[in-house]
Amino acid sequence: MKNRFEWLWPVAGFVSLIVLWWGLIVVRDVPKYIAPKPGAVWASLVDNASLLLDNLWPTATAALGGFIIGNLIAVILATIFVHSARARKMYFPVVVVFNTIPIIALSPILILIFGLTLTSKMIVAAIICLFPTLVNMLRGFESVSSSELELMRVMSASRTEVFLRLRLPRSVPFLFAALKIAATSCVIGAIVSEWIGAEKGLGVLIIQTTFDYRTELLYAAIAVSSALALVLFMAVTLAERFLVRWRTN
Amino acid sequence: MTSNAFTLDDVGVTFETPDGPLIAVQDVKMDVEKGRFVVLIGPSGCGKSTLLRVLSDLLPASKGTARVFGGSGAQARKERRLSFVFQDATLLPWRSVLENVRLPLQVGRWSRLKREANDPAEMVRLVGLEGRENALPHELSGGQRQRVAIARALVTRPDVLLMDEPFGALDEITRDRLNDELLRIWRETGTTIVFVTHSLSEAAFLGQTVVVMAAKPGRILDVIELDARKPGNEIDRTGEAFFGITSDLRHLLERADAA
Repeated sequence: MKNRFEWLWPVAGFVSLIVLWWGLIVVRDVPKYIAPKPGAVWASLVDNASLLLDNLWPTATAALGGFIIGNLIAVILATIFVHSARARKMYFPVVVVFNTIPIIALSPILILIFGLTLTSKMIVAAIICLFPTLVNMLRGFESVSSSELELMRVMSASRTEVFLRLRLPRSVPFLFAALKIAATSCVIGAIVSEWIGAEKGLGVLIIQTTFDYRTELLYAAIAVSSALALVLFMAVTLAERFLVRWRTN
Repeated sequence: MTSNAFTLDDVGVTFETPDGPLIAVQDVKMDVEKGRFVVLIGPSGCGKSTLLRVLSDLLPASKGTARVFGGSGAQARKERRLSFVFQDATLLPWRSVLENVRLPLQVGRWSRLKREANDPAEMVRLVGLEGRENALPHELSGGQRQRVAIARALVTRPDVLLMDEPFGALDEITRDRLNDELLRIWRETGTTIVFVTHSLSEAAFLGQTVVVMAAKPGRILDVIELDARKPGNEIDRTGEAFFGITSDLRHLLERADAA
């Protein structure tokens, strides 16, 4: 049975690990430039709130923009591929090969083309989202049963109707599975791109604080990045709960 | 004008397989008058489902012709005069009961056909699901889901209702009750029904005409007209006449098996 204190379990899990972290640093007497105590990270979060927020916005914009663009392109590509076997034969392998390029190697190329702009960051975030969503959507569009297709044929439904009334709604749970992956990976994409080169952003802050041994601020920046991904993930989960009320029988 | 709902003339269906051609059905000749309740019965592999698919133009005949109301099956399908009920209810799980029943009116150029439809809510009542209009398929039992499938099939006022083992996955008690209701609906709507089953008692209870089929290759073995033994297509499941029909069918099928 689920009771209303169920949420205490994960909280207890986190707290136990933070206590362990704190304990290890105290016992082993770790210098604070190598690893700070949890309390110091918290203090740094509060003290540098405006600096962190200032660097959060560019990263959040790049991540969210990339999330939207990447997933949109993935859905469009999946729609094309499911309707044209030839397009799929020609270009799906291209997408697969493209996906094998390490994202960190792609970033400098984009910066050479687009400069140190939001555009190049968004593209990196978009690319990292694209492949999982494309694969999931293809599978979703194809998860219709043969009797469902026969039903649509008996009703003389057109290809567009089969797509809109059957394949698209069928694929929604697959879309959300992909969006949950994309929600965290788009933040990674934006931050990686900022490492390679950017003027501002959590990625820039992470690199700078590492080199300057401002370890508390580094940890604080990491916590903010993680919070950003978590917020996106939770938004996707909430949207799914709201939109997908049905279950397959 | 013909008073036949459909005519199968020397129909054969052959599938190309890696092991060579496989004859699914051959030499099928059948005329069915409008408004009749026809049951196709036979062992698996006798091509009864294949025949339904030829009639509804889901599958082309390799040989011979299938005509529905004097026209082609394709035409009848485009005019939406055929409805199909599958063994699996095939409801769209994201749509409520009412929305599932409405589906046929939203696709296939229905609005351009300018044909009169049944009221979806009325169809839900007809199959006895009043009050469950807003339920989602996963909230229904197997029998209820099949009722929705029947309501969906009837919403377009079809001239022919093709049913492919629609109650095959249900328990016998539910199946008997749905058979009672199907006969009631058939009487109320006057639709021609072609019903595929491999249950002897279902065939004996429902059919005015029972077409007995054999396998390897799929073919018609015998056509039994039951009008004289079942006046008004009504019969008592516990009566002498019912057992007579079932045992006749059983003998025919055993002979088919031996042949």
